[in-house]
Amino acid sequence: MVPALEIRELTKRYDDGTVALDALDLTIPDGAFFGLLGPNGAGKTTLINSTTGLVRVTSGSIRVFGHEAVGDHLETLAARSIVGLAPQDVNLDRFLTVYESLLYHGGYYGMPRQEAARRAEEMIDVFDLRAKRDTRTPRLSGGMKRRLLLARALLHEPRLVILDEPTAGVDYELRLELWRYIRRLHERGTTILLTTHYLEEAEALCEQIALIRGGRIAALDTPDGLRLRYGAESLGEVYVKAMGAVT
Amino acid sequence: MSTAELRRLSYVSLFWLAARESLRVGRLWSQTVVAPVVSSLLFVIVFGLSLSGRIRQVSGFEYQVFILPGLVAMGMLTAAYSNNSSSIFQARNDRYIDDILAAPMRAWQVDIGLTIGGVLRALAIGIVTTAIGAPLLGVPIEHPVLLVFTALCAILLFASLGLIVGIYAQTWDHNAFVQNLVIQPLAFLGGVFYSVEILPSPWRELTHVNPLFYIVDAIRYGFLGTSDVAPGLAIAVTAVLAGALFWWSVWLFRSGHKLKP
Repeated sequence: MVPALEIRELTKRYDDGTVALDALDLTIPDGAFFGLLGPNGAGKTTLINSTTGLVRVTSGSIRVFGHEAVGDHLETLAARSIVGLAPQDVNLDRFLTVYESLLYHGGYYGMPRQEAARRAEEMIDVFDLRAKRDTRTPRLSGGMKRRLLLARALLHEPRLVILDEPTAGVDYELRLELWRYIRRLHERGTTILLTTHYLEEAEALCEQIALIRGGRIAALDTPDGLRLRYGAESLGEVYVKAMGAVT
Repeated sequence: MSTAELRRLSYVSLFWLAARESLRVGRLWSQTVVAPVVSSLLFVIVFGLSLSGRIRQVSGFEYQVFILPGLVAMGMLTAAYSNNSSSIFQARNDRYIDDILAAPMRAWQVDIGLTIGGVLRALAIGIVTTAIGAPLLGVPIEHPVLLVFTALCAILLFASLGLIVGIYAQTWDHNAFVQNLVIQPLAFLGGVFYSVEILPSPWRELTHVNPLFYIVDAIRYGFLGTSDVAPGLAIAVTAVLAGALFWWSVWLFRSGHKLKP
């Protein structure tokens, strides 16, 4: 089976010389619920942005369901069309309403107008945004913006959904609500790559977890496998041991 | 997905990006279209009608007739630049450019999609100013095909310049600096209000290194059938500059320079 994400020898060196990813290898199977954990600056967001074409990769290859994702050619479009990204920072179009944000996003991903409109209305209901349907995005609350980011990422029904700290800064109630939705999405066969600082979130949701530090994968296993390997009782303990073990 | 399907997907994506840019222009119509048209017509009234009593003829035309093509050009070019520089800068600033850069579009398609907003705005200003000013002042359109071609090249040039400056800019001031201290002075010194033939040396020769001079001259030729330099040269300079700046803007999207870390 073709993996959902296959990263080989991925290196990203920023202009100031910082090496964010250092010949990183990673494979995420089709249908997995995959967690990526690591401290700030470990390379999580760089890895995600490299996958979605938002970072200039220094070297290496990224394949999404077998399609090369690095570069500017037709094949990269195939890779991009099946990825949905909910970024860590809010990046909503200030000129658009909630409905338009979803509609135009669907258009950017090649959906016919009627289908994009239908999906936009559906996502508005799913994420409880109906009351704000015609509100411009700068006037939304933080929680509403977070819901809209998630709705936008899922609008074009991507096969690989990347959630970069989707519950950062949201209240507990909304977090549980988002968990429920993400779980349902995964049950329908969508591959999910989740980064989070909340270890209990990773433990509750993810089937496989990779720990990243210094631009390299420090450990990769199921939550139980990680606990066993590090002789730890909790994922928090695993995290502390794994992060301390890599220099 | 087949190659044909991927191509279709990318063109649908381009269409929606162009629609988004057009929506932005339409939503801000009083700022984007009405204000520049009023501004151009005020120039006609203030300079044209007030000075026409003192300046009888320029290049064989009444003064207000002579200045209208230059004002149309200036209105279009300023609009194409300011629309695109502000649109891309805002998108970079708020990072919603990422939703576009991650979409299944080629770099040149992103460039064209973003360019279209400025092109539509400039065309709207050019058409409305001409539709009001030409019948009112009796301005002819001697070479309509050349006029349309030159206007499109000039608009592309300044729309691309807007994208380039908006991508390099670190603050709003950088966008405004180029508009207020580069484009406007060059436009005013490029023969919008006078024929360079009346300038003494060396100002006449210096005007020939001003690219805006060729653009204004080419557009004036399209309207009035008269120009200060050979019309072929003016049109060629405009087209070559448009091609060069368009290529530069596409390169920025392809390389990700200043757009992607």
